[in-house]
Amino acid sequence: MAQNRTFKFTNPQRVEKILSQYPDKRSATLPLLHLAQEQEGYLTSAAIEAVAELVEIHPGEMMDTVSFYTMFYTKPMGKNHVQVCQTLSCSLNGADSLVDHISEKYKIAHGDVSQDGKISLVKVECLGSCDTAPVIRINDSNYESMTVEKFDKIVESI
Amino acid sequence: MPLIKIDDKEIEVEKGITVLQAAIDERIEIPYYCYHPALSIVGSCRMCLVEIEGMPKLQVSCNTTIGELPPERKKDGKYDMIVRTQTEIVKRERENVLEFLLLNHPLDCPVCDQAGECYLQDYSYKYGRAHSRFLEEKRVRKNEYLGSNVIINHNRCIMCTRCVRFTREISGTNELFVQARGDVSKISIFEDKSLDNMLAGNVIDICPVGALLSTDYIHKNRFWNLEAKKSICTDCSVGCNILVYSQNNRIYRLNARENHNVNGYFICDIGRYGFHRYEDAEKVTSPLIRSDGGFKPISWEGALKEIYEQFSMSMSGEKQQIVGIASPFHTNESLFMFGRLMNNIFKDKSIIGKLPFIEDYEIHFDSGFRISKDRSPNRKGLLDFCPNLEDEILQKVKAGEVRLCYALDDGVDRKLDEEWESFFKSQRFLVVQTYAMTPLAKLAHLILLGPSPMEREGTMTNDQGRIQWLNPSVSLTNKTRPDWEIIMEFMNTVGKRELKYTSVNEVNLEMGERFPDYRGRTFFKIGYQGLPKKNITTSRPSEGRQAIQ
Repeated sequence: MAQNRTFKFTNPQRVEKILSQYPDKRSATLPLLHLAQEQEGYLTSAAIEAVAELVEIHPGEMMDTVSFYTMFYTKPMGKNHVQVCQTLSCSLNGADSLVDHISEKYKIAHGDVSQDGKISLVKVECLGSCDTAPVIRINDSNYESMTVEKFDKIVESI
Repeated sequence: MPLIKIDDKEIEVEKGITVLQAAIDERIEIPYYCYHPALSIVGSCRMCLVEIEGMPKLQVSCNTTIGELPPERKKDGKYDMIVRTQTEIVKRERENVLEFLLLNHPLDCPVCDQAGECYLQDYSYKYGRAHSRFLEEKRVRKNEYLGSNVIINHNRCIMCTRCVRFTREISGTNELFVQARGDVSKISIFEDKSLDNMLAGNVIDICPVGALLSTDYIHKNRFWNLEAKKSICTDCSVGCNILVYSQNNRIYRLNARENHNVNGYFICDIGRYGFHRYEDAEKVTSPLIRSDGGFKPISWEGALKEIYEQFSMSMSGEKQQIVGIASPFHTNESLFMFGRLMNNIFKDKSIIGKLPFIEDYEIHFDSGFRISKDRSPNRKGLLDFCPNLEDEILQKVKAGEVRLCYALDDGVDRKLDEEWESFFKSQRFLVVQTYAMTPLAKLAHLILLGPSPMEREGTMTNDQGRIQWLNPSVSLTNKTRPDWEIIMEFMNTVGKRELKYTSVNEVNLEMGERFPDYRGRTFFKIGYQGLPKKNITTSRPSEGRQAIQ
């Protein structure tokens, strides 16, 4: 885990709002972790400790949760975080060849970040757009009916 | 109170307890792994599934509480719950759960330390299927060190998370967590903080399978070779209850023994690994007498003759000549005999003193477990049986004319500072009763060979005033005599008494006669769980010599 000494939520109002939504502080664990990850791109140990303090559990216990969910990262991801859907429709329509292409082009495997820090690749489960398979998600937007050529163009444009 | 039926047994239970608890109390067997009475309930192993009438699916009995139904809804007209633990569906379910637990579990029982006391082994035999249907490759991981004394074998782990809950709820140190999920999940150390707290060894005890192993015991012996003795720990004044496992008079390991009045379910690592101190010590193998700067062996008869020659003369003199050094490491019985020797035979010719108590830091855990500052097991007993202890013995002795000293040695933990060393050196004749060549024994003129802590038998009084049975786990060697017997012989020789106790029980009975706090506290009565002293609330006033007749 990369060490980042201090962590502070840049938007305390949102933290307050999330905490006020639940009768039990522990229930705010996941939304707060997402918020922290949104802010830094990944979860530093300082961030995990900060969230643990807010929901009043031990950071060790918080690690159970963080390591359980695949969408939380404990190391920095690339500037463009590429998520390739691996579920049935996308697999049938050539998601594997997309993964192979990205792996070869940027010399990265599942979960890795390219050396220049621009691209990171993970395989994910269904992104909810099976009719336009294969689907990938780059940062916060979905791209449908992907092909290798289309992917290269999109990456160039962003 | 709710009335429930488990199989054919009608049981009245307290409202709010779980089905598993009710079954355990009634000695009805329901298999389980993740449940532990000292830890919170997670219901993750699914082994304790039972059928409950009116519920569509099987329920985990460890997490199903028993409530009361309104009269019109009672089952069969009177029951609040009907539980079945032996039906076909329950049996099939147990078989299935075991099959899942064993998916990645290696078949390495012949080299596993847990074999023989392994719940996975027992339940597989009892509830599991005889053959594995699993044809795929098993997931294999390397062993890891969790702490300096604990190794984890990931392949054997069934993810019951007892150890993780232990570090969170009992030791409060949070070293362990469950990493990832599914078949890649494993027990890990949080942020490289290794499992090295004072209670770390307990995770090995509570692991239901052979996943957590002690570096101290790994591959040393098999469980079925070991003889377990119920005893108490002598490394601090709490007096935790332990099981001592030994084979052929060699101790292999100590485990915690349940006693809710003392230590709960756990012991600390000081006690758990402390027995090695006695192995490493330079042992005394026979009574020894000083000769030409060294020691030479002497028979017991010779030793007693020597004692007679040295001590009997001083009894007729005017001055206090004899100092007795009592020890809080000895049993009540030997301290009682020592008090009698000093107060009834030497009377005002003697004073009783003690070396400074051995103290260290005190540790309290939030769960209530504690390690006492007082690192001697029987300070309470010492103060009870030698009420006229002289605190300022060094000053007193300097002024007076003490020339003979009989010291019960504290053992391997005792270190002597210069002041005490010169005090012992100034004695005309120093008798030390010990089991090892301690700094004190090295100064002696005569060494009497007593038992080591693992060989001693008697009672100890812990810092809460609870009298407990120190049960020997190792038998005495040829030339060793029990402490009380040595003191008895001392009394017979020097004081011309005719005491003929044949066992520690007789000394214990006599002790009860003379000390009302200990009346009726026989070995039979205190048993393996101990009993508090009588009149526990009143502290004994310093009554001086008249107290002992």
